[in-house]
Amino acid sequence: MLITGVFILLTLFSFIVFIVRGSLKYFLSLFILSAGIIITSVWSLSVLSDNKTVELTLQLPVLQHSLSLVIDRISAFFILVVNITVPVGFLYARGYLKQYSKTKTPLHFSIHYFSYIWLYLSMILVVMIRNGVAFLIAWEMMAVSSFLLVIFDAEDRLIMKTGISYLIQMHVGMFFILVAFLIVEKESGLMSFDALPEYFSKHSNIILFLLFFIGFGIKAGFVPMHTWLPRAHPAAPSHVSGIMSGVMIKMGIYGIVRILISLQNDLLPIGLIILGVSVISALYGVMMAIVQHDLKQLLAYHSIENIGIIGIGLGLGIIGIAEGNHVLSILGFSGGLLHVLNHSLFKSLLFFNAGSVYLATHTRNIEELGGLMKKMPWTAALFLTGSLAICGLPPFNGFISEYLIAIGMFKSLSAADLNQAIVLLSAITGLILTGGLAVFCFTKAFGIVFLGQPRSEKASFAHEADTIMILPELITIIFILLIGLASPLFVRPVIDMAAAAFNLTDSVPASATSLISLSHISILSGIFVVIVTLLLVYRYFHLQRRIVTTGSVWGCGYTASSPKQQYTATSYAYNYNHLAKPLLGTQKIMEEMEEGEIFPGERDFKSFSEDVFRTRVIDIPVDRISGLLKKIAVMQTGEIRHYILYAFVFILLVLLLTFFNLI
Amino acid sequence: MVDYLIILFAVTLIYFASAERLVNYVRLIGIQGLLLFGIAIFELKEINSANMIFIAAETLLIKTIIVPYLLGRIIKRSGVAKVHRQAMPGFYLLILSIFALLFSVIIANLVLNQYINTVFMAIALFTLFTGLLLIVTHKLIISHLIGFLVIENAVFLFSMAVGNRMPMLINIGILLDIFVGVLILGFFGLRLKPRTNELTLLKD
Amino acid sequence: MAVIILIIITALFFPGIILRIKSIASGRKGPGVLQPMKEIAILFRKGSVFGDTSGIIFRISPAISLSAVVCAMMVLPFGNLKAVISFEGDFIFFSYILALGKFFSIIGALDTGSSFEGMGANRETFFSMLIEPAFFILLATFAMFTGHTSFSDIFAGFHISSDHFILIYSILAVYIIIQIAVVENSRVPVDDPKTHLELTMIHEVMILDNSGFDKALIHIGSYLKFAVFGTLLYNVVVPAGINTILQIALFFSIQFVFALTIGLVESFRARNKMNKNPKFILTISAVAWIAFVLILIMTNKLT
Repeated sequence: MLITGVFILLTLFSFIVFIVRGSLKYFLSLFILSAGIIITSVWSLSVLSDNKTVELTLQLPVLQHSLSLVIDRISAFFILVVNITVPVGFLYARGYLKQYSKTKTPLHFSIHYFSYIWLYLSMILVVMIRNGVAFLIAWEMMAVSSFLLVIFDAEDRLIMKTGISYLIQMHVGMFFILVAFLIVEKESGLMSFDALPEYFSKHSNIILFLLFFIGFGIKAGFVPMHTWLPRAHPAAPSHVSGIMSGVMIKMGIYGIVRILISLQNDLLPIGLIILGVSVISALYGVMMAIVQHDLKQLLAYHSIENIGIIGIGLGLGIIGIAEGNHVLSILGFSGGLLHVLNHSLFKSLLFFNAGSVYLATHTRNIEELGGLMKKMPWTAALFLTGSLAICGLPPFNGFISEYLIAIGMFKSLSAADLNQAIVLLSAITGLILTGGLAVFCFTKAFGIVFLGQPRSEKASFAHEADTIMILPELITIIFILLIGLASPLFVRPVIDMAAAAFNLTDSVPASATSLISLSHISILSGIFVVIVTLLLVYRYFHLQRRIVTTGSVWGCGYTASSPKQQYTATSYAYNYNHLAKPLLGTQKIMEEMEEGEIFPGERDFKSFSEDVFRTRVIDIPVDRISGLLKKIAVMQTGEIRHYILYAFVFILLVLLLTFFNLI
Repeated sequence: MVDYLIILFAVTLIYFASAERLVNYVRLIGIQGLLLFGIAIFELKEINSANMIFIAAETLLIKTIIVPYLLGRIIKRSGVAKVHRQAMPGFYLLILSIFALLFSVIIANLVLNQYINTVFMAIALFTLFTGLLLIVTHKLIISHLIGFLVIENAVFLFSMAVGNRMPMLINIGILLDIFVGVLILGFFGLRLKPRTNELTLLKD
Repeated sequence: MAVIILIIITALFFPGIILRIKSIASGRKGPGVLQPMKEIAILFRKGSVFGDTSGIIFRISPAISLSAVVCAMMVLPFGNLKAVISFEGDFIFFSYILALGKFFSIIGALDTGSSFEGMGANRETFFSMLIEPAFFILLATFAMFTGHTSFSDIFAGFHISSDHFILIYSILAVYIIIQIAVVENSRVPVDDPKTHLELTMIHEVMILDNSGFDKALIHIGSYLKFAVFGTLLYNVVVPAGINTILQIALFFSIQFVFALTIGLVESFRARNKMNKNPKFILTISAVAWIAFVLILIMTNKLT
């Protein structure tokens, strides 16, 4: 009763946001969010530590129904993931939204805060609900509230269009999930996640799994269902992009995990499908990310890559169960789920810092930035930490999850037969290639944006972000460093949770060697930090006693150097682009120089890349269908007499057909 | 010993995908002939010494010495040095080659049969695919001929895979194909305009 | 600990041997074998000049890349002795910590705001990205063959098998490791450390603007990396379990032969054309896949 009351109070309070004035809106929303976060965190931590399931039943007064919420270990984990990033985003938003206080009305702000609260509430509800109908209602709330958040800047018509396309694609996903739930209900009469194991034991698993996978995969961003991601994330304001990329797409992963728990047979083909789609997503995501000019679009494509890595972990886990290789399963699932947490941390950090960069320079185009490290040292340091973490480099947290997935694969090699060995080695190659490409991508992103000299005026007049935007990000940094340096603390609960969810608890001791290895990694990372510190301290004292001067950088004798001579982002990706052009469809538009032209005239150069999947899978069919429909639209003449004629013809047709017993 | 030679053979196939100049192709064909000679000597247990001598002569003389020599002369005459005119960048040819290797290993494993030597089967399939890739991705006719010669080597390896004896018929078949190929190209080669950069134009 | 001391001793002589071989091959007498060490001593005495556009990353990146190499050294075993710290999957850590060092040297180069260093940084990232799979495929074949996933365990169990394939497998492994060392340290045929034409270089152009103490750190890091790869070669070639004195002698002779090979290859081979490099590097990964097929045969998975 008390819980019901609290929930109803929270929902009512969110409406009050519309009424309150000025800064009070923000603080009220913050209060509501904090209340929700504290309550759900207490529940989740109690579930994870005591290994019991929290079950609540809400009596909804209006609808005469009761809503049952169940928090088991997987739900608790996802709730904690959400609870860490959402408050950081909201605290960051305080500083970020200041720039809009002059251009937006209070109503805009109310809608924004209201949607933010409801996005948080719907994500929590999605994770806690088992009943199919209620789940879909919560899913829909999530889609609508995120839509309202994305179109915050809808004065720009392009952003409105992007938002609507995003909403449509979310509904396509929901359609697939709805159909899948209906199939389950037809068989067992119950439309719920709990009815799945029974269904799976009686029917072929693959078809229903594919339906769910496509539906949840559209939300998660697997290729080829990812086409909304690279458009929606840059269009949204930065604190929203960080939340969407950090936690909202993980709701798709949550759905897939729920289905995976209930699978009974057909495990090997399903595992191979997940693994194949994930490797392609990872490679495609990072390959497209390298050729982007828009900083936030680059980060959005990178999210697709990380979702691919999570999928690799999950696919390996399923393959392990199918073949009885439980160590592979545990390591794969733990790596994938830990990566869910890690990705939410560093991706949200990167998006927030990209937002600070945009706030300071009013451009997201990498080619116009440069030298921001001197003007925005804190933002640069945070972005650097995020980049190192996302490339999976020690001693940060990305390395731990990639390590878990990789070591699972390596350990299974000696016992594998030929086909398994080839699959494992191909997956290893895919994972390593994405790591290398990620390093390429982020040296480019960090190097071109923050280092060197400013490439345009916008970058030269940048200023550091306000403290209020930097302080919340320190929370994320603390988590990143903790998971990287003290990994066994975090990995042990994740392993226990994954093993319990997939009924592998008897194999947990066999994976204890991984925990020992992780502690060694922590020791080595610590040694690394110590050596770096010692070297830098020695260097400081060494240089004190020497002559240190500054001079100009080597310019090969060229006297009129300018910042425009630096490497640009396109030139940095040039030899990569040359190689990957058949796969990525990058184009450039320029006028070539003619033979006799000695002093070249002024020219324009434009390079861009089209998302191959969006053009082939969505744009071209939509164009064709529109073309077809336009031809049929000839029938819409606008005159009543024609419509009466159509009705008359239709009645005649029905009469004739009934006469001949055809209907 | 035979297994070393087989692995070296597979390595030469990788270098086929990454070679740049036609002269290197010719050298690789010669090396492959030598390796096949070694494999034939160690693997075949023939009672009929005449057959044995014939096979040794065929691989050593024809595949290692005569065919590369003829090809080298044709290349020098026409003055083409590079393997340009590829339909796709060489990088992708190498990636396709790796996929062909994996594919042939999987297929060889599927047709597990006690009468077939799986390793030979896998490498023979790999050779076949490499030859096909060479023909499909290059535009010059001399590259097509080299791909054809590689497929001949694949047939040789296939016949090794299915047993210790090599019937005369297969041998004669291979020899005939080689003769026809090099003969026709030599014929056209003599009729080509000398010193052109094309190996596809005929003398008017 | 012994392995670290041996690596340091090797690194003292390694670059000098390469230089000396190159000089003798071109008919000169050449500098002394300890000449590179003397140059490092000179660098320690000098002060530093920093570009006016470079920032803090430029100043800390040499220290970080050197620390990365030192940490990587700690997971290498030597014969019977285990590594300083050894655990499952330590080669994953080995590769990634070296990648961290490379990340910082690349962004250190980008920090100068000069187009030359950007060129070198771009090429360095690209080529090291292409060579990563070769290293991991080779180590996957090690893991599949010996059933262990730690450097120390792998090399302890490496030569126990009496399969006659082990010889050609070792040859392939040695070839791949030498090529990986060539790419990572930017030697011929991937890059020529002798030419100072920036348009044709990778590594040398990245460190153009470093001076004094930082330059010394970078050189020390690169010499240590050579010795690290030589240690890998030693572990692949020499079986564990023989007499310690013989082991140390073999270690130094193998490092010497490694330096000799690199010196001779540099004297007699031209550098690759820059846009042919990706294909060259991918060939190494392809040969690694062949080694994988070989291991499949050896472990009777492909009978």
